[in-house]
Amino acid sequence: MEVFTFGITQLVMSFIGVVIGIVFGALPGMTATMAIAIFLPLTYAYDLTTSLFLLLGLYVGGISGGLIPAILINIPGTPSSICTGFDGFPMAKRGEGLRALRIGITASLFGGLISLACLWFFTPPLAKVAINFSAIEKFLIILFALTIIAALSKGAMIKGIFAGFLGVLIALIGQFADNNKMRMVPDLLKVDLRMGFQLLPVLIGLFALVQIFQEAETGMKEEHQKMDLNHETRGFSFKDFNGQWFNVLRSGLIGTFVGVLPGVGGSAASLLSYSQAKSMSKHPEKFGTGIVDGLVASEGSNNGLTGGALIPLLSLGIPGDSTTAVLIGAFMLQGIQVGPLFITNNPDIWKTILVAMGIANLFMFIVMFYPIKHIVKVINFPKTRIYPVIILLCTVGSYATQNGNMFDVWAMIFFGLVGYVLWKFGFSIPSFLIGFILGDDLEKYFVDSIKGAGGNLGTFFSRPIGNVIWVLILISLVYAFYDEYKTKKKTRKEKT
Amino acid sequence: MPRISYKPSTSHWLFPPMIMGILVFLMVIMLIQRAIKCKKQGKPFFNFKNYHFFVANWDKVRLPGSLLLLLLYIPAMNFMGFLPASIIFIFLFNVLFVGIAQLASIPVAFKTKKFWSNPDFRSLLISLIISVVSSTLIWFLFGTVFKITLP
Repeated sequence: MEVFTFGITQLVMSFIGVVIGIVFGALPGMTATMAIAIFLPLTYAYDLTTSLFLLLGLYVGGISGGLIPAILINIPGTPSSICTGFDGFPMAKRGEGLRALRIGITASLFGGLISLACLWFFTPPLAKVAINFSAIEKFLIILFALTIIAALSKGAMIKGIFAGFLGVLIALIGQFADNNKMRMVPDLLKVDLRMGFQLLPVLIGLFALVQIFQEAETGMKEEHQKMDLNHETRGFSFKDFNGQWFNVLRSGLIGTFVGVLPGVGGSAASLLSYSQAKSMSKHPEKFGTGIVDGLVASEGSNNGLTGGALIPLLSLGIPGDSTTAVLIGAFMLQGIQVGPLFITNNPDIWKTILVAMGIANLFMFIVMFYPIKHIVKVINFPKTRIYPVIILLCTVGSYATQNGNMFDVWAMIFFGLVGYVLWKFGFSIPSFLIGFILGDDLEKYFVDSIKGAGGNLGTFFSRPIGNVIWVLILISLVYAFYDEYKTKKKTRKEKT
Repeated sequence: MPRISYKPSTSHWLFPPMIMGILVFLMVIMLIQRAIKCKKQGKPFFNFKNYHFFVANWDKVRLPGSLLLLLLYIPAMNFMGFLPASIIFIFLFNVLFVGIAQLASIPVAFKTKKFWSNPDFRSLLISLIISVVSSTLIWFLFGTVFKITLP
């Protein structure tokens, strides 16, 4: 059997892909998806092997780069680093920015390698499980992800759930795919909102603009931003991972599993992994204050996603996330059909993907781990100087979402204001966002289930895997109520 | 088990009312929670008198100013094009965020012929450099090298 080959060209392309991907991931408003979309036309000039090295480099780099702004300025560079700032930013604020970044980078490497191992060894059984999921299980899995909102909204559970379902409602705006009819759209915006609000302007508005509005309200004082990075209060050591190996493994596996589920995406992987790490921790109250556990959970899972998202893509032809959706284009340009017969018909390409993923993860670690000290210097710039440039990047990123649409820039500002008002009234912005991300699929799978069962709601309790997910939902809700009760009791005690 | 009537022609309105129903239900719970809390603490349910949307001593220049500049930036891009509008507005954002008081240094700097040594005027020059360099760099990288559609 002929074995695929790769040489210096492929390695160089992988390296370039990783570097550019990191830059895209690190810039708020730019994502791995956009990086892959931009470089996709390059695949005309190269064979599929070379193209895959470049595109998978962009993918791994783009996902990994998101941790930099999340930790340094508390703005996730990509949706998959949504939870990285929860603990990474408090660490950076207390003078452990380098340590937080290196912990995140190392967790990313392990998450990526765990995911790669899963992709390599367990693709057939994992793909089989995913293939067997009907619309009912997919609906219930998303419902389960939404119940995690409750766990994340400590002390304000009802407000957290409300924000989540408000996000779902906003996601439903636009044309319904089943009958191509519009709903909840004023006549004036029928063209712009045909496909609903795009994720990127919503994400940028909620995370970048809200932060800028918050800072503007308090006068952009610099006391939190100035950090003496040459005199870190605590440096990185691989000993930081003592006691974290189970967390790394679990996060990598959660990321991989969420990646396998089509459409669930990176932010859900990060949230689910963070929530699991928190609920299984002996000190959950420390989460959000800047502890290693939270950072490892988020970064291990989002890189874990990279391998997982390729499983449904390569076995079913269904993308696991928006980035792998763009990757389909690369295969199509080369005339290769991804689907159930892909691995059987293209064993060399399958191996190329595995090797390219492994090399991209190693390059990501090399490129980020040592020079990160220089990247960290961005934090020394006054935020009064950084924010105008961030506004510029956000505008460019939002505008480019649909290849040039000013409505998306207006949407970004609108969601900046919505997020600001939600924050003012104590509603959780991450909950709103996760509801928005999952809303479309929640509806799709609900309607598909109902259609298949002739309208009988009992169908949601008719499948064994579905019933297991119901139990998980119940456990998650009971835990959330118990946690809410415990938090309120503790607050009352502290007040008295 | 209850049934839902599914008609393809009206299926786009099957799911949204359910979510709206859940939102109304949650809103009612929140109102009840607030009513109970207010009753326990002896406070009125509606307390507009002591309510403040913004934090105490909020910045009355930077917050409305940043929103205003954002809203003007979009039509300016349509009117002038990406690069000139970005240079102007990124400069204005810099001036707004650093502090508009530095604008007072312009006549002083020209009068005394001391530009770089005047800290406030130097800050304005830095704002100008940042706006020109960042806008041009992004225009070149994204517009020319990566061929991203720019406003």
